[in-house]
Amino acid sequence: MRPMNMKNVLLKTRLLLAAIVAVASLSATAHAAAPGITGPNFTLTAQPAYLTQPDGQAIYSWGYGCTRTPAGFKPSATLMPGTACPTMQVPGPTLIVTQGQSVSITLTNQLPTAAGNTSILFPGFNVTPAGGVAGLLTEEAIPGGTVTYNFVASTPGTHSYYSGTQSDLQIEMGLYGAIIVVPSSAPAVCTSPAIRSNLYGAAGANPETDFRLATAAYNHAKTCYDREYLFQFAEMDPNIHNQALAQVTARTGCVTGAPGCSLEVPTEPYHPAYFLINGRSMPDDMDANYSPMYPHQPYNGNPHMHPGENVLLRIIGQGRWQHPFHEHANHVRILARDGNLILSSTDPTSLAGPALFTTTTTPGVAMDGIFYYTGRGLNWDMYGHNPASTDTSAKLTCTPDANGYNTGPAAYSAINYFEWCQDHNKPLQAAPFGDVAGGGPVTLPDANIFTNGAWYGGSPYLGPDATVRATGPTGVTPPSGTIANSPGGEAGFAFMWHSHNEREITTNNAFPGGMMMMMLIDSREFTIDESN
Amino acid sequence: MSSKIVGTFVLALIGVAVQQATAQSFRVQCPASTITHPTAANNNSEPAYTAATTFVSTNPSAPANGYLVPSAHVNGAIKCQQISGGDGYASMGDGTQTYMFSFGPLSGLADIASGNPGTEFPNTFNTTYPGTLVPGDPATTPGFTFNGAVGLTPDLDCVSGNTIATAAGSALPCPNLPASGLDGHVDPRAIMDVGVMNGNIPAPLMAIDEDDEYFLTLTNVGMIMRPDLFEQHTVHFHGYPNASAFYDGVPDASVAINIGGSFTYYYLAPDAGTYFWHCHITPPEHLQMGMVGQIYVRPRQNRVPATTSLYSALQVQQVDLRTACRRPNDGVTPAVTSATDILCTNPLPAVQTGLNGGGKYAYNDGDGSTRYDVEYPIQIHGFDPNFHFVGMTFNPEGFADMKDKYFLLNGRSYPDTVTPGSMETESADSVKHFSQPLPAIINITHGQKALLRISDLDVTEYQTLASLGIPMQVVGYNAKLLRDQAGNNLYYTTNSITLAGGESLDVILDATNNTTGQVFYLFTPQLDHLSNDAENFGGLMTEVHIN
Ligand SMILES: [Cu+2]
Repeated sequence: MRPMNMKNVLLKTRLLLAAIVAVASLSATAHAAAPGITGPNFTLTAQPAYLTQPDGQAIYSWGYGCTRTPAGFKPSATLMPGTACPTMQVPGPTLIVTQGQSVSITLTNQLPTAAGNTSILFPGFNVTPAGGVAGLLTEEAIPGGTVTYNFVASTPGTHSYYSGTQSDLQIEMGLYGAIIVVPSSAPAVCTSPAIRSNLYGAAGANPETDFRLATAAYNHAKTCYDREYLFQFAEMDPNIHNQALAQVTARTGCVTGAPGCSLEVPTEPYHPAYFLINGRSMPDDMDANYSPMYPHQPYNGNPHMHPGENVLLRIIGQGRWQHPFHEHANHVRILARDGNLILSSTDPTSLAGPALFTTTTTPGVAMDGIFYYTGRGLNWDMYGHNPASTDTSAKLTCTPDANGYNTGPAAYSAINYFEWCQDHNKPLQAAPFGDVAGGGPVTLPDANIFTNGAWYGGSPYLGPDATVRATGPTGVTPPSGTIANSPGGEAGFAFMWHSHNEREITTNNAFPGGMMMMMLIDSREFTIDESN
Repeated sequence: MSSKIVGTFVLALIGVAVQQATAQSFRVQCPASTITHPTAANNNSEPAYTAATTFVSTNPSAPANGYLVPSAHVNGAIKCQQISGGDGYASMGDGTQTYMFSFGPLSGLADIASGNPGTEFPNTFNTTYPGTLVPGDPATTPGFTFNGAVGLTPDLDCVSGNTIATAAGSALPCPNLPASGLDGHVDPRAIMDVGVMNGNIPAPLMAIDEDDEYFLTLTNVGMIMRPDLFEQHTVHFHGYPNASAFYDGVPDASVAINIGGSFTYYYLAPDAGTYFWHCHITPPEHLQMGMVGQIYVRPRQNRVPATTSLYSALQVQQVDLRTACRRPNDGVTPAVTSATDILCTNPLPAVQTGLNGGGKYAYNDGDGSTRYDVEYPIQIHGFDPNFHFVGMTFNPEGFADMKDKYFLLNGRSYPDTVTPGSMETESADSVKHFSQPLPAIINITHGQKALLRISDLDVTEYQTLASLGIPMQVVGYNAKLLRDQAGNNLYYTTNSITLAGGESLDVILDATNNTTGQVFYLFTPQLDHLSNDAENFGGLMTEVHIN
């Protein structure tokens, strides 16, 4: 799998419709993870730079960044090539620390002098600031000056951090980020027995690398996870950014405290036109982490997973608006809000947070939730298994565990690990087609009356083996348009994850864009590589 | 993608390659029996829920080479529905006729017109209209009672082909043709006559029962007012757990239905709850323009006999792993030490109430706590009149400054919300259509309980609905029972709820302590939403009448 620029995939659709069949093996392979920098001592800076948007605009913004190489990266540079902490990025560097650590963050204010002081708030932690000047909410760094925040990372989980100085302007300009506290001890049940079958590798695919920051979100047996993704929601009004740039430029060289050496940028009325997840708009959010195309927007939003995996979603509302984040395909069990586990009042081993299909982000709130997908209850075999086939992958067995899934040791490296066995071999289509059996409830339609999407796997079925068998008696006939999820290479189930304030899935008035991404459930034939 | 100017760009950016339909290809699907519901005679009503379904392999000698079919206790039935995707007009609270991209009913026409779901059993869906359907039906024809599939007609090619083959002693060209000749073949004229400009807001109501198989056919009749557009439509079942990408309705991740085509969506009913549905083509446009509807799934607990305890019936649900939701110490064998499914929300209740079945419930609660007497689906939505005007013309649209000025409950603003019966609107074809069939008035007999299935599909902002006087008990959220994984109910009582577009919740209004004649208001405290465009009165408000 060769890295592929998402924007190029999309634009090529327009130019190379006829060539799509020829590039059927092409697939976009940016796969996310939750990258960040480690401490526990961090040296940050606040600086201006330009953010790129899919409409070609470069938006003047402010962000936190690094003035020196951080203590480390997670995942490490070995696992994830290209790791970097630039002098400014939006969102700011994700700070990864361990529960109980004494954390120290020194911030240097390198914003334009006219921007005045700046600072960082760490909601949920008992912060002792030092070395700055008194501000409204915390100590601040004057232009060119520094301030240090010290606290103990007392609670695990996902937390936000953001500017506590003239926040209506500074957060809008991009001064926000995430801090992830991993638990000091993860429950033993998360690692024993080791059933992370993706590490074994399915037949014909490579064993996968573990990109987790930890094995559990909290020191609680119900918070074990197999993958994790971080989503920070914020909107952007370009008029505010343009006015800030104009005033900063007009006041170049002014001296702190001198008359007029400040910004008077109105932040109302508010008309955001860019709707960002991790600082990027769709489709840019589906390009790789640390992509050189976005030097100041290093983090992506491009989740992939296999059936049965517990996927930890770390979701933060960073802007001033609420954004209803709708996860297609299944509910999300909310584990915690702002680092506070939500447990049953009568049984602390049981979860009590809601199960949501729309996780509504509210300014400043961070949520941890578990998502999974198994296809349970579809009432047809999503792998299109066909015992009469000559293809061994079509004739796999399904041995139900106590919950009905194919998870025994014999299935660790099987393509259909975690298959829902009650529907095994059960046909979907009324008439047989290709190497998929008939007898099912529905007549699949004439492909000529449809338009195929770029992420359509090419058939109702999951994975290249089933899709190739299902696409016809003469072999692979990938429907035109299917280029980001190739029938012969990935053929995942693609689901859109997006803001359900639907006007926010636009970029500066053009659809599609904004707060949107595709989440792919991949058969284990496909190797998920979160390194890019 | 209504703008001619950005249309090409948009089409390219989303990566959708258009294959123009070469011929109309309307059809419907509603099998009388299936693998899961093998006995046709049993599929036209809901059987009582007395035991979990048991299964046997189709290949008893080598079970691994077969698949599971029911051996006893078949639960649920088959339900079918047909809808059109196209356009239409609706009447706003200030009298304005507003243009919509919209879905309309193509089955259950009489049921929809009387405020009921257009979801039908096979023996109703698979019937032909005894006459000729005309534009505007059912509004045009007095005493309209037909609930079958519009357009359904015997497949004469198959009928004659089989007749000839039988006479010749050769193989039948259509071996599965039922005696009725009805195999899903339709007469497109009837579909176009009824389906064109028959848009509803909300889109046709759908309701199914757990264990049902549901066949929903979407037929794209085109948008008469926008011949410049070749708009596809889809159906996204919002909130369905373990959805399939193919039937998820996202055009980027599946297929989209061109004008002149039909597509049948297939699902085994998911867990009980209040879901909703909408088109997923260019969502900021098609949702704002009106392609939003309601669907809910009734729990199998509704089918528990009045002589059976709800608790034991929920214990029975633990036998079938598809319907199970285990919690620690729930008394079911084998015992488990922790919840086995992190996403299930209806484990056996921690407190046994001893109540029996026989009622109607929002969820499989096992304790009768979500029992209600009457249910009202209520959908919140908003229309931006500027966007709708632009949507009817040929100008490019802006999304960033979209601003709703009509605030709708079931497609109506106050005072239309309390008008009984279907509202009708004369469309550009000079024919009156039932545009808004569903009132939002809540009628409760004193001493009884009403379930409000509230969903929000506003695409621009959050909406609050407050109750003046009668408290709201929230029992479900996002189509899930509010219960922790140890079995404790987490219901809460409030006088206001706030939803984002893309959320739903279940509220019970309890009129136990109320008296006949009382009137309460459900309204939004977002006071600028209590208006109908320029009219400073109306908006997101309705009434609760205690009878
Ligand atoms: Cu549509």
